[in-house]
Amino acid sequence: MSKPTFVYVTYIASTPEKVFKALTDTDATAKYWFGNAVTSDWKVGSPVTFYREGALIVSGKVLEHDAPRRLSYTFLSHHEPHNGAERPSRVVLELEQQRDQVKLTVTHDDFDQDSKVFVSISNGWPLVLSSLKSYLETNRVLYAPWYEDKAKQEA
Amino acid sequence: MSKPSFVYVTYIRSSADKVWAALTSPEYTAKTWFGIHHETDWKAGAPWRLVLPDGRVTDSGEIVEIDKPRRLVLKWRNEFKAELKAEGWSRCTIEIEPVTGDAVKLTVTHRLEGEGTKFIGAVSGGWPHILSNVKSLLETGELVLKEKVS
Repeated sequence: MSKPTFVYVTYIASTPEKVFKALTDTDATAKYWFGNAVTSDWKVGSPVTFYREGALIVSGKVLEHDAPRRLSYTFLSHHEPHNGAERPSRVVLELEQQRDQVKLTVTHDDFDQDSKVFVSISNGWPLVLSSLKSYLETNRVLYAPWYEDKAKQEA
Repeated sequence: MSKPSFVYVTYIRSSADKVWAALTSPEYTAKTWFGIHHETDWKAGAPWRLVLPDGRVTDSGEIVEIDKPRRLVLKWRNEFKAELKAEGWSRCTIEIEPVTGDAVKLTVTHRLEGEGTKFIGAVSGGWPHILSNVKSLLETGELVLKEKVS
């Protein structure tokens, strides 16, 4: 039985440089990733963190950094209900220029067979990557239902 | 053991009616689906075909369920490549759900009824192209991919 692997391909009318920046920039991720802001110096071995409203959501370390083609980091979910209980998995982001578009492939693997984080990220990536595509193509992001509900409560 | 399958979810800032039209009407699919159009009368049990501009049929089957603009289930077999046709029938389910805000969730599930990997491999390459195009066309008025890139 193969281990759980999540693969998602999306095509974005943009450049590899812009897509790579959006995937690694603190301010950009905060906008399209529903408040999750990534921080790292992106050197191999350096820490990667995603914080939302002061709470640590994901931590990891940089495995590969080859801008603007490839980025890989480990991924430990601190989000409810996972709370860092599973071992880290692995995210690989690959960017390929095709004429005036970018093929972005996200592969998230190295999960244990019964991983609950795998179920969460399988729901999360399509929303994040749909929002990223909208952000780069229209300069508008999408809203996750739970994020929008919270924003309404605070408004 | 589960059947070979492909699942793709995308969120599009548009209405369910527009997403349905972008997937089914010839004026949209000519753009988003690389010139292809559906040939069917869109009723449950009706024959269904995907046809290229030159009249060649790439895929055929029938409408299993239709609930416009929410759900479409197709019985689907490739007619274009012998090795794909040899893997037999598949079932494609397209679901469109409004989510809060101004976006809809589009889910495409394509499952082979028998065994094999080539047909699911082929649709796994094709659907991200088509659905990226649908999202770009509805949100920006432009396609992301004007022609197919392998």
